[in-house]
Amino acid sequence: MFTIYKHEIKTYIKTLLIWFACVGGMGLMCILLFSSMQDSMEGMAESFASMGAFSDAFGMNQLSIATLTGFYATEIGTIHSLGGTMFAAIISTTMLSKEEDGHTSEFLFSLPISRSKVITAKWCASVTHILLFNVLCVGIYLLGITILGEEIAMKELLLYHVLQLMMQLELAAICYAISACSKKNKFGLGLGIVLLFYAYDLIARVIPALSDYKILSPFSYANAADILSTGTVLTEALLLGVGVLAGCICITYMVYTKKDLAA
Amino acid sequence: MNKVIEINHLTKHYGKHRGVLDISFHVNEGEIFGFLGPNGAGKSTTIRSMLGLIRFETGSIKILGKDIQKDKETILNEIGYMPSEAMFYPAMKVKDIIRMAADVRKKDCQQEAEKLCERLQVDVNKKISDLSLGNRKKVSIICAMQHKPKLFVFDEPTSGLDPLMQTEFFKLIREYVAGGATCMLSTHVLSEVKQHCKNVAIMKEGRLQCVDTVDNITKTSTKRIRMLRDGKQEDFIFKGDLNDLSKELVGHDIADILIEEPPLEEIFMHFYQE
Repeated sequence: MFTIYKHEIKTYIKTLLIWFACVGGMGLMCILLFSSMQDSMEGMAESFASMGAFSDAFGMNQLSIATLTGFYATEIGTIHSLGGTMFAAIISTTMLSKEEDGHTSEFLFSLPISRSKVITAKWCASVTHILLFNVLCVGIYLLGITILGEEIAMKELLLYHVLQLMMQLELAAICYAISACSKKNKFGLGLGIVLLFYAYDLIARVIPALSDYKILSPFSYANAADILSTGTVLTEALLLGVGVLAGCICITYMVYTKKDLAA
Repeated sequence: MNKVIEINHLTKHYGKHRGVLDISFHVNEGEIFGFLGPNGAGKSTTIRSMLGLIRFETGSIKILGKDIQKDKETILNEIGYMPSEAMFYPAMKVKDIIRMAADVRKKDCQQEAEKLCERLQVDVNKKISDLSLGNRKKVSIICAMQHKPKLFVFDEPTSGLDPLMQTEFFKLIREYVAGGATCMLSTHVLSEVKQHCKNVAIMKEGRLQCVDTVDNITKTSTKRIRMLRDGKQEDFIFKGDLNDLSKELVGHDIADILIEEPPLEEIFMHFYQE
């Protein structure tokens, strides 16, 4: 099982580094630009906070973008949550289906390893990559904050990133179940699901009738503005997320262990 | 003699489509067993069922005395399988693929792998994506042989290999079989069966047509008839009682007749087209 895990870690290492360079690099750049933009943003912060639905959607009604915490929540929060979930979706949607898509399943499954062990090894590899991505990104953001020498709500910041990790794992589990059901790589579908949940979260924050149902999107419990301003967790949404994650992993095992090798 | 492969009443459908129907045969220890049939006859379905790669509806398969549905991992550890489509991860190097196949088996196969690479002239530092079909086939052979399994299952192994490599491949098989291994060879190349196999099974449209020794199959009642009847030259394969043929010839002007054992190719064609 460890051989398959090691193989998958090596396979996706380039993808990890590319996504880290893009997302982490953009995040670091934004942090380092904060001091030069701070003066101009002080004037804009008030107008951004009073833009009605737009301010609600992006959390600018809760935090001032003239502060590092507010800037982090609106700018880096958006980049990291979208970038992180897209990375999680891409590796998870291809993790199982690439074997049939690339006609390598006959080689893999003729080795003395059960389908259950393959699922476990590949899921562990997905989780490791997602974890590494977050560790690297958070590390580089903290480096940027240290260079900047500004104060930030550290406890809330770490809570935000733990919940981001949880959200990425939930979306990865959904995409992993899709991967188990399909014979072709469906990373387009994975990315579509991420964007759909993101858009739904924005809409649910703007339209009062949908506010009770905003927990349906995993973005609801990992929203930077909510967490950095209050330091609290939307427990219902988080529990739903844990349930979805567990359910999707169960579906993956049920579907993939009963699957025949494609003709 | 120990039965290495025992298939009893195997039936498999793909939805509404027929895979194989009520297949039963066995392969004895230490033999090279030929498995023949036209495309779509059910050879690959039988092999994939044997390896536990697909589930089947009815019947049972025992490999090395163990049930494939219960002891799949243990059985696969003792099998060297070479699929007809030799596909690997394109970004990996040959040496990494060979090591991966050995590592999954938790065996140190380095010495055997080096020997096989040398005999099959494989450059282990090349990337899979840079290899031709023939070279991918060689990598597949190494992955199937390096752990010295008790049973080899080869699905069309020689397609894409040059004649020199084909000769080397069969030399290797004979060496492993001499060392106690068993080999099941699914192929379209009849000369390979004639040259290397003792027993053969012939499949057609999902059913087993016959299982017998190559010698017995060529000595069946199937004959090749060449004759000049009523001034016309005729050349055909006859299967049945020769007395029936002689009765049919009564009243005809037979200027010349030759009854002979048909070549293996014609017997198989006869089975295929029957």
